[in-house]
Amino acid sequence: MASLPKRIIKETERLISDPVPGITAQPHEDNLRYFSVTIEGPKDSAYENGVFELELFLPDDYPMEAPKVRFLTKIYHPNIDRLGRICLDVLKNNWSPALQIRTVLLSIQALLASPNPNDPLANDVAEDWIKNEKGAIAKAKEWTKLYASKK
Amino acid sequence: MKKDPIDATGTNGSRSFNRDIAEIPLANSDHTIPKNNNALRNNSNQSNLSTLSGKSSNNPFRIKLELQQPTPFTPDNLAEEQEEPDSDFEIDEDELFSDDDDIFINNLDQSFNDLNISTSLNDNKIINEGGVPNLKYDCLTTNELYDRMLLRVEKIKPILDISKDDIILLMQRYNWNEEKLLESWADQREHIIEDVGLSSNNDGTNKFKNNNPFRDNSLQSRENYLCPICYEEKDCTTFKLECNHEFCTDCYQRYIKNKLSDGNIITCMSCSLALKNNDIDIIMGNNDSSNILMNSSIKSFIQKNNKAFKWCPYTDCQCIIHFKDTLYLSEFKRLHCSPFVTCKNSHKFCFSCGFESHSPADCDITNAWVKKTRNESDYLNWVLSNTKECPKCNVNIEKNGGCNHMKCSSCKYEFCWICDGPWAPHGTSYYECTQYKNEKDKDKDSNSSNDDKKLKKFTFYYRIFNEHEMSAKLDWKLGQTVSQNVYQLQEKLGLSWIEGQFLTDSLKVLNEGRTALKWSFAVAYYSDQSHNLTKIFMDNQALLSHAVESLSEMLTEKNPKILMEKKNEFFNKTGYVENRKHALLECGRDLLCKGICKPK
Repeated sequence: MASLPKRIIKETERLISDPVPGITAQPHEDNLRYFSVTIEGPKDSAYENGVFELELFLPDDYPMEAPKVRFLTKIYHPNIDRLGRICLDVLKNNWSPALQIRTVLLSIQALLASPNPNDPLANDVAEDWIKNEKGAIAKAKEWTKLYASKK
Repeated sequence: MKKDPIDATGTNGSRSFNRDIAEIPLANSDHTIPKNNNALRNNSNQSNLSTLSGKSSNNPFRIKLELQQPTPFTPDNLAEEQEEPDSDFEIDEDELFSDDDDIFINNLDQSFNDLNISTSLNDNKIINEGGVPNLKYDCLTTNELYDRMLLRVEKIKPILDISKDDIILLMQRYNWNEEKLLESWADQREHIIEDVGLSSNNDGTNKFKNNNPFRDNSLQSRENYLCPICYEEKDCTTFKLECNHEFCTDCYQRYIKNKLSDGNIITCMSCSLALKNNDIDIIMGNNDSSNILMNSSIKSFIQKNNKAFKWCPYTDCQCIIHFKDTLYLSEFKRLHCSPFVTCKNSHKFCFSCGFESHSPADCDITNAWVKKTRNESDYLNWVLSNTKECPKCNVNIEKNGGCNHMKCSSCKYEFCWICDGPWAPHGTSYYECTQYKNEKDKDKDSNSSNDDKKLKKFTFYYRIFNEHEMSAKLDWKLGQTVSQNVYQLQEKLGLSWIEGQFLTDSLKVLNEGRTALKWSFAVAYYSDQSHNLTKIFMDNQALLSHAVESLSEMLTEKNPKILMEKKNEFFNKTGYVENRKHALLECGRDLLCKGICKPK
């Protein structure tokens, strides 16, 4: 494997030395482009008190190409599907090389705080969210308790 | 061809079929040739037309005449179309690209006609092949289309009073629809300027000025510069826009390279300020990059305006067909004919459905037929269309030449590939092996179920369709021999190029005849078998089939001297095939117009 770009080394160093509150990101020893990530559910959201595991991969073309991020923990959210794929603009069209791993993870945390059922990825969840928001939030809380509780 | 109508291979039940077919009488000398066929056979093209038009009450040529004054383009209609609700000034993607593209494209043509730029391919024939109303279309490449766009940019430049590169950005954003652009420009100029990235409001001031003299974006040499993208500290050249977001050119180049193929506006890596074509070329250090970007942008323009623009579906063909009168297209459907267009590389295809030239079938029949044939299994299809047992000695034979006159290499039996019967009667008298013998079938399979018969009927037609498809492919190979022959004529007999052209012409007619014949079986399959017109249609098929086979056989001649001696014969045969094809197409359209043939 080609040597790791300086950009990735710097970002990794900073993620470890100056971590974002509520977010951890640890590169794998055998592949420094592959990160194990945890994000804490934001306060006052349906995901409060949950700790969600994600995986993050920096493609060869990073930072020209967006990192690939996926939820490993089951989550009930209109913009996250059953496979954990995330519908988020900065991961797709609005990616810019000036963004970083930390900004992406912060955006994901913000997405947990404010789900957007009008631009859904998981259609059934979004429908539930629009028709019966209270019920949907209760379900999201239940799932958080079931699958994302601190161990 | 990208869209091969059938996956070129076979069905089950082929064996049992061969037997059925073998019992179809081969030559039926008592058969009456329809009157108009006789007329067609002997008369010139012109008089054929009159003969036909005099005969049929529902005749396509008369319909054609009505079409000469196309109603959809009266000024009133246009005015109606142009009345658009323009109360909503929000720039909305959907709004931008959805509606009045037709009008916009018509205007586009208008503007180019003004400028005397015309690459129109179609001639002044009133009626195209197969009685299709005349078509107006251009064949362009992306570069030609971009040149046209640049002319439009020049035209609106005095109105907007900004630089050409700025207008190109705006046009990109508005998908090359200048009317939308001008409308929005008048209403909400400031908003657009920011939206497109001509100015940034990051520092609270709007820096955009007309023909901004302060815009001075060039590369700078920096020592020990730490680029915020790659974090490499090095001596390098950097680039920045007015927003002062500075990055090293290595990063910028990688960034731009990734974006060129999208055709969208490329912005600063940190904010929404747009890179103009000039900036892109400065960073990339060449002139090609902005061209690639523009090319991609034009491509996405074509995709979004796919009613009026279509790519040629043939593999590796880069031509774009620009159809001028899109409202006109619905007329074709009504008349059961199809808008066939031919690109600069002589690829003929249907503008509506993208298939090869499929007359006499219309798009619906084609669609139904293709769907039906796709259900069949590939492997059996291959066996069906490629091999056959010799009717005498049962040796398996794979056909590798275009003609249907087969000679078994083991027992020397000469037979017809289509009907398995002896060849002798085919050559001299009436050729009748293209007809599905409904009545015979009834006698034979009186016990078998209705479904079974339906399947047999389909398999019969499908087999013939496939055989003609295969033959067409082999004819294509034959075409290479023919061009060699033409070359030989020049070399050995010292003839001029033009004197050898009759062979190339014959080949073209052969191909067209073969294609028409092929698709006619789709029409025959969906036609009401008991109707008299269907019978006439089948007779026409048989006549064309006979003509095509004999022409195909003539073309296999390799001796240049014999070829030259047969020159007149070639002319006659070619003209005859042409006439037969015409008659078949007319008859087929009659079937469709009268509702005798319809997809089930």
